[in-house]
Amino acid sequence: MNPRKDLITIDALSDEDIRTILDSTSAMKDIFTKSVKKVPALKGKSVLTLFYEPSTRTRSSFEVAANRLSADVTTFTVSTSSVVKGESVHDTIDTLMSMKMDYIIVRHKNSGIPAVIARHCKASVINAGDGSHAHPSQAFLDAFTIREKYGDVAGRRVVIIGDILHSRVARSTSTILRRLGAEVAYMGPSPLVPPTAHTGIPRFTNWNQIFDWKPDIIYLLRVQNERIDTPFFPAADYHQAFGVTEERLRRIDDLNLSIMHPGPVNRGVEICDDAMEYRNCLINNQVENGIAARMSILYHLTPQTQSHD
Amino acid sequence: MTNTYITNATWALTGEKMDLRMGQAGDELATIFLNDIPLQGVNAISPAGEMQIPTGARVIDAEGQLFMPALFDMHASINLAGRSKRESIYRAGQAANHGGVWGMLVMPSSGFVFDNAATLDSFQDAVSQRSFATMIPAGCISENMQGEQQAPYNTLAARGISILSDAGKMPSNLLMLHRAMKYAAEMGLTFAIRGDVPVLTDKTYMHPSTTSYNLGLHGTPACAEEIGIETLIRLARDAGAKLHLQTVSTAEGVNIIRRAKASGMKGLTAEVALHHLLYTHENVGDYDTTFKTVPPLREQTDCDALLAGVKDGTIDCIVTDHTPCMPFAKKQDFVSAPQGMVALDNFLPCIYTHLISTGKLTWADVCRVCCTNPVHIANPYDQEEDVPMNAPLMLFAPEVHHKVTPDSLYCGTLNTPLLETVLSGAVTLPLY
Repeated sequence: MNPRKDLITIDALSDEDIRTILDSTSAMKDIFTKSVKKVPALKGKSVLTLFYEPSTRTRSSFEVAANRLSADVTTFTVSTSSVVKGESVHDTIDTLMSMKMDYIIVRHKNSGIPAVIARHCKASVINAGDGSHAHPSQAFLDAFTIREKYGDVAGRRVVIIGDILHSRVARSTSTILRRLGAEVAYMGPSPLVPPTAHTGIPRFTNWNQIFDWKPDIIYLLRVQNERIDTPFFPAADYHQAFGVTEERLRRIDDLNLSIMHPGPVNRGVEICDDAMEYRNCLINNQVENGIAARMSILYHLTPQTQSHD
Repeated sequence: MTNTYITNATWALTGEKMDLRMGQAGDELATIFLNDIPLQGVNAISPAGEMQIPTGARVIDAEGQLFMPALFDMHASINLAGRSKRESIYRAGQAANHGGVWGMLVMPSSGFVFDNAATLDSFQDAVSQRSFATMIPAGCISENMQGEQQAPYNTLAARGISILSDAGKMPSNLLMLHRAMKYAAEMGLTFAIRGDVPVLTDKTYMHPSTTSYNLGLHGTPACAEEIGIETLIRLARDAGAKLHLQTVSTAEGVNIIRRAKASGMKGLTAEVALHHLLYTHENVGDYDTTFKTVPPLREQTDCDALLAGVKDGTIDCIVTDHTPCMPFAKKQDFVSAPQGMVALDNFLPCIYTHLISTGKLTWADVCRVCCTNPVHIANPYDQEEDVPMNAPLMLFAPEVHHKVTPDSLYCGTLNTPLLETVLSGAVTLPLY
């Protein structure tokens, strides 16, 4: 693949970029089975995780990935409350530039922030989730998990269920899956599912329509209460109307469908307890593959910080 | 002293070539009208070649140039954050001059809170010392533009205020607004407000569309503006107040205003910002903050409906909605960046390039919506001379093509999508 500095969105990648990163995700995963789970690919490189939003899973996943590639990892925690309103991210960028970081992994509540950082610094910037915009590393691990399970993403049908409006996962994962030849549909409470005219993705409103559509994978999203100030729908309805209930799980089992979820899971809301133990529940595979996918992403990006080597 | 003569100038409305004799101190002040348009400062006019020009007189040969009244902008904010008020006023005046604008209605802003006599006095002082253009302040509707308590309208009116606005913001307290309208109607004041339901547009950043979905930005529903417009019309009708609807951006908004005007409602006027006629949500592209505006840039069908509204008289004015933003602020992410564009520089060249030379509007339309209508609504009045003010004459060279560069802008900031584009037409001689 051509040298690429940043990973901000899936849209910005070529088909070759996507294929290359997915292909080497398998190679990265092979390392996990070795007794020494570390390769020297990024030895001497410095990786910074810059999270303006709380996250345990994604940040640890990136940190483990960077460690397994032998990079030095620094964690820069920015409490959201300390970010003064109106303060620009540019001041932070200047600080980071002085630290001579090679890779900056950033998460922020505002859509578009990683692109601003990427434009103004030489380090490779990886978007670890910005507002409702994009979460490309999640997209890679999802695509890889489906490919691992089914051999190929092309021809698979995936329905993404939940709060599509606020979901960067829905946007990035649907984009990569469609680029790889899968069909994607959305389902959720109407105020939380943008119209097909805006998304280009069919929109269902109930489970009967989903089962009629004959999906292969049920992809559940978490209801993101922290992004919602005025309720979009009566929360008490969610499990019965849109969740994987025990009854629906039996149907899913009969049809041999897979269940995926980007985590963290709200048991009893989008998913019942039993579904977590379901034989085709791929949630733990996603977590494991997340590390491999992020190793592959780090490995393939080219920071512009080495010009004087 | 002799009069100045302008020869071979083309009357913008009809294309006829004319010779003009400009008045000078001591001349009779009878205003000459052409196609019902008053020509300020002209004291004789005749077909080209027919005017007697005394030898030694100052003659400007305006071959290939149009003459028309200069423009009045009903909606400008001139506060340059982080700069002095004097500089803000000076720069905006220069930019206006550059764009063919002789006068403007200046919105209150954080730098100029026109809710008291002292601020108005100091502003008017600064304008008289520093400005190239006439600047008429709009008084605040509410104290500190907070939407809670009425500003002292009587005091403001005594300082020459005829338009009230909280910089477009619609007060959410409709009881306050209804009472304000009833009270101010007695004084003949006009309320300039943008239709909005703040609770529906809070934390939204652009038009709901494919672009907003792709960028993960929350959409500003058109219905919020339309409910706001309908609400304002009903309040104003009930209170008997004059209402000027600011920066209408949706097709249905135009329809609501058209119906209200057709029903015979008096004192109702409306404006559209130039950018809402020229751009859509697609221009936002990959988070281009230059195109972040409030209300947001919408669909092509909205642009078309707004233009139709301008043509049929539903929309009375095209305005700049001039909003300077420092480069630093616009370089932030789309959510954090401030809204607005600057448009005083190049206002007429932009209208000429994109609307007149493309056949979408005629010079007569532009004269109506940028010269006569806004002057009629804002009713600028010279307090010292005790006379109504009118537009001075202007010469415009349509065949001059120029690239918009940072150095060519006078307004002091660069937040305009016209940068690096080529425009046709230049204001060659503002005669004020």
